[in-house]
Amino acid sequence: MPSRDVRLSVNGVSYEASVEPRMTLVDMLRHELGLTGTHVGCEHGVCGACTVLMDGRAVRTCIMLAVQADGAELMTVEGLAKDGELHPIQQAFMEERGLQCGFCTPGFMMSIHELLKATPDPTEEEVKDALGGAICRCTGYEAILQSVRSAAKKMRP
Amino acid sequence: MTDFLRSLDDLPVTTPKWVGKPIGRVEDPALITGKAEFIDNVTLPGMLHCAILHSPHAHARIKSVDVSRAAALPGVVATLTGEDAERWTRKMYTTPDGWGMYVLATDKVRFVGEPVAAVAATSRYVAEDAIELIDVEYEPLEPIVDAFAAAQPGSPKVFDDHDDNIMYKRLFSWGEVENAFANADHVYTETFRWNRVGANPLETFGVISEWNIVENTLTCRGSFQTPSYIAMGRAATFRLPSNKVRFIGQPHGGSFGGKGGGRGTDITAMLSRKANGRPVKWIEDRMEYLSSGGSQAWDRHYEVSIAVKDDGVVTALRVKLLDDMGATAEGFGATGAAKPMASFTGCYAIQNAEYDLTLVATNKLPASPYRGMGPPPHNFVLEQMMDIAARDLDIDPAEIRRRNFIPADQFPYIIASGNEYDSGEYEAALDRVMEMADYQQLRREQEAAQAEGRLAGIGVVSTIEPGVFDWNAYTIIGTRGIGIPEGVTVSIDTMGKITARVGFPLEGQGQYTVASQLLADYFGADIEDVRVVLADNLTAPPNFGPGGSRLGVALTGAVLGASARLRDKLIKVAAKLFEVQPEDVELMDGELRVKAVPESKLSVGNAAAIMLNRSDMLPDDVDPSPEATFAWTAPGRVEPDEQGRVKSYLTAANACHIVMVQIDSGTGKVDILKYFIVDDCGTRLNPANVDGMVQGALAQGVGAALLEEYVYDDDGQLLTASFMDYLLPTVHEVPIPEKDALVTPSPFTPLGAKGAGESAIHTTPAAIMCAINDALLPLGVRAKEVPASPNRLWKLIHDAQQA
Repeated sequence: MPSRDVRLSVNGVSYEASVEPRMTLVDMLRHELGLTGTHVGCEHGVCGACTVLMDGRAVRTCIMLAVQADGAELMTVEGLAKDGELHPIQQAFMEERGLQCGFCTPGFMMSIHELLKATPDPTEEEVKDALGGAICRCTGYEAILQSVRSAAKKMRP
Repeated sequence: MTDFLRSLDDLPVTTPKWVGKPIGRVEDPALITGKAEFIDNVTLPGMLHCAILHSPHAHARIKSVDVSRAAALPGVVATLTGEDAERWTRKMYTTPDGWGMYVLATDKVRFVGEPVAAVAATSRYVAEDAIELIDVEYEPLEPIVDAFAAAQPGSPKVFDDHDDNIMYKRLFSWGEVENAFANADHVYTETFRWNRVGANPLETFGVISEWNIVENTLTCRGSFQTPSYIAMGRAATFRLPSNKVRFIGQPHGGSFGGKGGGRGTDITAMLSRKANGRPVKWIEDRMEYLSSGGSQAWDRHYEVSIAVKDDGVVTALRVKLLDDMGATAEGFGATGAAKPMASFTGCYAIQNAEYDLTLVATNKLPASPYRGMGPPPHNFVLEQMMDIAARDLDIDPAEIRRRNFIPADQFPYIIASGNEYDSGEYEAALDRVMEMADYQQLRREQEAAQAEGRLAGIGVVSTIEPGVFDWNAYTIIGTRGIGIPEGVTVSIDTMGKITARVGFPLEGQGQYTVASQLLADYFGADIEDVRVVLADNLTAPPNFGPGGSRLGVALTGAVLGASARLRDKLIKVAAKLFEVQPEDVELMDGELRVKAVPESKLSVGNAAAIMLNRSDMLPDDVDPSPEATFAWTAPGRVEPDEQGRVKSYLTAANACHIVMVQIDSGTGKVDILKYFIVDDCGTRLNPANVDGMVQGALAQGVGAALLEEYVYDDDGQLLTASFMDYLLPTVHEVPIPEKDALVTPSPFTPLGAKGAGESAIHTTPAAIMCAINDALLPLGVRAKEVPASPNRLWKLIHDAQQA
C-alpha cells in the first residue's frame, strides 16, 4: 500500500513519519511515535478514551486518519506534566480520586484541559456538557466532577 | 497459627496512621501520566499481530475453511483453523462439565461471533486484510434463540452429542415450603425478565503469547483478571505441565468479571507456535468484545411466588429461573445462576425457600461473569415481590421490609439456602437512610407530583452483598476448587524498606494501596517506604486475585499473616540482642521493645539489617531472611449438604437505597430525581476506595436498570454490537447520591472488614425498578422487564391509557 508523509507536532516535538493513508491517528500516535498514553476504548468514536487536543480542540483520534493531522499541533497526556511537575488537572485527579482503573483518564483530562482553558470557572452544566462525550466505567463520574472543580480552582490565577 | 486482629485497635501501632483513612492511591501516578503498562502499550521484539475471523451465523455447519489466499498475502506469517485447535488443544473446560468446544470452530458454529480462523501478520492492518481472504463455506442450520423453545423436548440442539439443550436442572428446597404456602394468608406470583447486560470495561481484553518451541513453554502477558487461575486452564487446554506456563498480568483497564480471555490467549498461543515462537499480540476490538468476548451476563426468565401473612411477614419464597447460558458453559454463567444461593432471601428472615433452576443452551454468546455475579437480577425480582405484597396489604414499602428484616441480635444468622451472614444492622441502615431522605416529606412530594399528573415514584430497597467466596461456593453446579487462598510475601531490605509481592495485577480497586496501608501501620513505617510488586504465576505465593468481593478481606488476611510471621522472626533477633526471651519482646510503632524495659528497643529496619548483614548476631534458629509468606483462606469451609446448603461467602455487607424517579409519560424516559444510600461493609480500610466502589457500582446499576441491553434478533444476530446501540451511562445519566455509612464489623474477618467491591450493583437496579413501579401504580400497570427502557415504559403507559 502506498505511504504518505505526515508532519506534525506532538507536545511541542516535531515528528515526520511515512504512514499508510488508512492508518488512524491514534495508531500513529501509539504505535509509530510510541506515545501510548492515549488509549483506545471503542474504535468508533463513542467512548472518548482516545481524545487528544488538535490545535487546541479535543478530537477523537480513533476516527481520524493520521493524514488528516498533517501540519497540526497535537497535545496528549504525555504533554500535561512540565519539567517533572504534574499539571494541576493531574494533581486534581489524584487528590480527588478521579480515577480507578485509569484507562479512560487521559481522554477525560484532555477534554477537561480544553474546557478549563476556554472556561476557567465552568458551571456544573458546562462541565457535564464537556464530559458528556466520554465514558468512565469505574467511577460513576462523581470523583471526576470533583476533580474538574478542584483543577479549575488550582488553575485560576 | 497467626494472630486474629479483630479491629484496627489490634494493630501493633498506638494510633493507625494509614489504615481506615481515605489516603491517596499508590497506583495513581503511573495512570495519570499515561505510563501504566496496559497490554497494548507493550511491544516485544519480532512481535506479530493477530486478527480473528468470526462466524456471521448463529448456527451453521462448517463445510470447508480455506486459508490459502490469506496465507499468500505478504506479511502473513501464520494461519490457524479449527483443525489446529483439534490437534493441539482439549475442548474448553466448562461448568457444568461437558458443554465446551474448541477455541476455533470445528464441526459447526454455535453463535454469531464465534472464532472460526485466525492469522498472525506483521501488523494488525495486514492481519485484518488477510481475514477477508479466508474462504468459509457454511450450511446454515436453524438458530436456537428462544430460551423457552430451546428447553422444550424435541428442540433443535446446540450440541449434537447431548440429548437436549438442558445444561443443568435442579430443584433446591429449604425448610417447609409447601406448608408455608398452604398456610399463607396471601400468595403473590409474578413473572419477570432480565435481559443480558455485561461488564464492558473501557479496555477490552488483550494478550501477547509466546510459545517457546525448543523448551515447549508458553509465556503470556495480558489483561487477565486472575492470571494464576487462567494459567492453570491453559496448561490443561494445551496438555502442558503447569510449570511450563508463565502468566504475567498487566495492569488493566477494568474488568468487572469480563477479563477471562481463554479464547484469545489460546488462539495467539497456537499462532505463536506456528510462527516458530514469535510473540503474537491480539487486542480485542470493541465489536469483538461485545459480540464474542466476556461481555454478556444474566439472560433470565423468572417466575416468583411469595407466601405472606396478613401482617406482611413473608414466610416463604419460591424462585423459578430459566437462565439462558448461550452456546457453551465456558464462561461461568452457571456460577452466576448459583450465586444467589449465597443471599437467596436477601435481608429477610424467610426460612422456607425453593430454587427451581434450569440452565439452557442457545445459539447466543456464552454467558460470562459480571460484577455481582448473579444476585442483582435475583434481588430485582425479590424486591419487586416485597413491594407487590406491600401494596396489596396497604403497608408502606419501608415498613414491610422492616417487619421482615433479620433482627440485629440474630447474627451470625444462617439463611434458608445455607449461607451464614456474619453481622448486620439492617433496621439501623433503613432508619438512617429514611432520615437522610426525609422519607415522609419525600412521600408528600410524590403525592404533590401525582396530583399534578406526573408519574413520580419512590423505591426503598435493602440488599446483601455476599463477600469472599470460597472453594465450596459453586461445587453444587460442578465448579471445584475456585476460591483458592490469597497469598502475600512480605520482605524488609537492609535499608528497612518494605516490599510485598502479590499475584494479582492492577485493575482499579486500589488494592495495592490497601496492602501498603496495612504494612505501613503494621511496621510503623511511612507509606512511601512500602512498595507492592506483582509476581507472575510461577513466583507468586498461592493466589486467585479479585472476584466475588473477596480481595480486600483476603488480602488483609494475607498481609497480616505474613507480617505476623515476619514480626516473630524480628522479635527473635531483638530478643537475642537484648538477652531476653522472645516472649519478652513486642512490636509496637515500628520498634521491637523489651516489654519490661521500654528503652531497650530496636527498630524494625535495624533488625532486618542485622539479619541480612550480621550472621554472628543471629539466633541459631533464625535464617538470615527478613521475609515471610502467608496465604489466607477462610476457616470452616466444608462441602455443601444434599440441598446445596453451605457456608460459602464469609461476609454479608448491607446497603439500603432510597430513590425517587419521575417517568415522562410522553416518552417513557426515567429521570432520577433523588438518591440516598447507606452502606455497611464493616470496617472501611480505605473509605475513599469504598466510596468509589459504591458510586461506580451505582452507575453500572443505573445502566442495567435503564439503558444497557444485548439484543438478539430471531436469527440470533446481535443487534447491539457497538456503543451506539449498547448504551453505557454517561455523566448525564448517573445521579450523585447523598451517601452515609454504618460500620458493623464482621466478627469473622481480619480487622472486621467485609467484601465491598461489587457494591451498589446489588441494590440499584432493584431500587430503581421499585421506584418505577411505584410511579406506575396509579396506571395499574407494572414494569416487569429490565432494562426499563423508554420504549418499554412508553408502551406500558400508552397501553394503560388506551385501556
